[in-house]
Amino acid sequence: MRRKLASAILILVALCALFAPAIAPFDYDRQFRESPHAAAGGQFLMGTDNLGRDRFSRLVYATRISIVLAPAAAAVSVLLALMLSRFSSLTTLCLSLPWIFLFIIMRALLPLDTGPFASILLTFALMGVAGWAWPARIFNASIRQIRQSGWLLQARASGMPSRRIALIHVWPHLRAIAVAQFRVLVPAYILSEASLGLIGLGVAEPLPSWGNLLAELQRPQAVSANPWILAPLGLLMLVMICLEEVSA
Amino acid sequence: MTPRGFARRLASRLVSLVVIVLLGGFAAAALVRYSPGFASLPEDLDPSISPETLRALHAQNEDSNPLPVFYARYLAGTFHGGFGVSTSLNQPVAELLRRRAPVTVRLVAEGTAGGLLLGSLLAWAAVWTRCAYLQTVAVSLTGLFLVVPPAVLALVFFFNEAPLAIAVALAVFPRLFGTLRALLGDLYQSPALLAARARGLSSATIATRYVLGAASGQLIAITGVALVLAFGSAIPIEVICGIPGIGALALQAAIGRDMPLLCALALIITFFVTAIHTFGDLIE
Repeated sequence: MRRKLASAILILVALCALFAPAIAPFDYDRQFRESPHAAAGGQFLMGTDNLGRDRFSRLVYATRISIVLAPAAAAVSVLLALMLSRFSSLTTLCLSLPWIFLFIIMRALLPLDTGPFASILLTFALMGVAGWAWPARIFNASIRQIRQSGWLLQARASGMPSRRIALIHVWPHLRAIAVAQFRVLVPAYILSEASLGLIGLGVAEPLPSWGNLLAELQRPQAVSANPWILAPLGLLMLVMICLEEVSA
Repeated sequence: MTPRGFARRLASRLVSLVVIVLLGGFAAAALVRYSPGFASLPEDLDPSISPETLRALHAQNEDSNPLPVFYARYLAGTFHGGFGVSTSLNQPVAELLRRRAPVTVRLVAEGTAGGLLLGSLLAWAAVWTRCAYLQTVAVSLTGLFLVVPPAVLALVFFFNEAPLAIAVALAVFPRLFGTLRALLGDLYQSPALLAARARGLSSATIATRYVLGAASGQLIAITGVALVLAFGSAIPIEVICGIPGIGALALQAAIGRDMPLLCALALIITFFVTAIHTFGDLIE
């Protein structure tokens, strides 16, 4: 029951993200310069930010970016892990590198005039590239286990070509692991983007993401004046809980 | 394992530790040097500066040495007792590290201790008490803190003037809870503990004599993982709360394109992470 509810919420959020232009009353970057910090009300469902942009519209578009790109980055990681899992020394080396440190450095080193779309792609591409080592270690361990299995020996002994063995016998085992790793990585990347956005190294303005919307939490007076500032955090937590529930 | 076998394993681990640290430093230097923004300067965005001045500024900042040569010279300098001079802060890197490292070490150590304590208490409550209510509370608390970004936790504590180490602990404990619960669950069902409980030994005696003794190896390995997790959480926390530690220094160095400082930080952090993994492997 809980799983069904979580799936339903995730589908609803994904649909909202998909149809963001139809749901959001305004563009994410449209400024109402006469009404910055407007309270929540009829015209602006969640009020406006310090630049007079509608918070609700920005939240809907931010959901689109976080919901679509985190799975894309997770897919890149899993794909890289599958391709590189045979290089166990490289995996060990990459697991030993302080990726959070390197990631902050790499993100901070991007050109100062990096455009918003380039910043989105680079942020999530870096996540995808940086996160392959853990799944690769798991793939490596299962491939080793599969190599020692009796059924593989039998398949080989019966003269089955290697490609057929890989596609028909090995891949179904790895596919389950790939799906599990993908499910683990998606929430991890959503959280990473949120943390990076909070410190100003995520998606660049004016494009909204859950991370850069959370940056408003750094002004506690604004939060007490308009509690809707907490809406991105609430939505992030709801989606994360639903993802955990669905992956469990 | 025989003492000789252990010595051989230790030697091989130490060699791989040195290799990984050197490669880690090189990887960091390469990532920095070849990142698309390495050559850009804050002055690039200033429309009042003429193209000639910009060209001169870029030429001044350009390092003519190829990366391997730079890294080899840097390592040679490091072995002669210093990490060089920070180009952005104009101070010896060793001095900067001496000032900043204790802040991060304290935050990470306190956060790790808090995370382990909280994770262990909740795991104990979930496994040992056999109380469904406590189990639900433990799992719910863990799930709740697992979905909150550490930087948000840090902001809550920062604005309430509470110790930030608690934010690190709250970010770390949910990631340890599952492993600790599984460990305690296995121990709880072990015949030795069943016999101890049947003999009527008190919970405190069982915990100190049987649980800590039997699980000490795994607990040390988990502490290593907790340290790495705490360090990962401490970096954004330092940046967002303006704590003058290693994380804030790294960001400052990256923004200032400060290669000597970045290489020193990469070497030290890679050593820290790899040493913990190596120690955990040896204990295991």
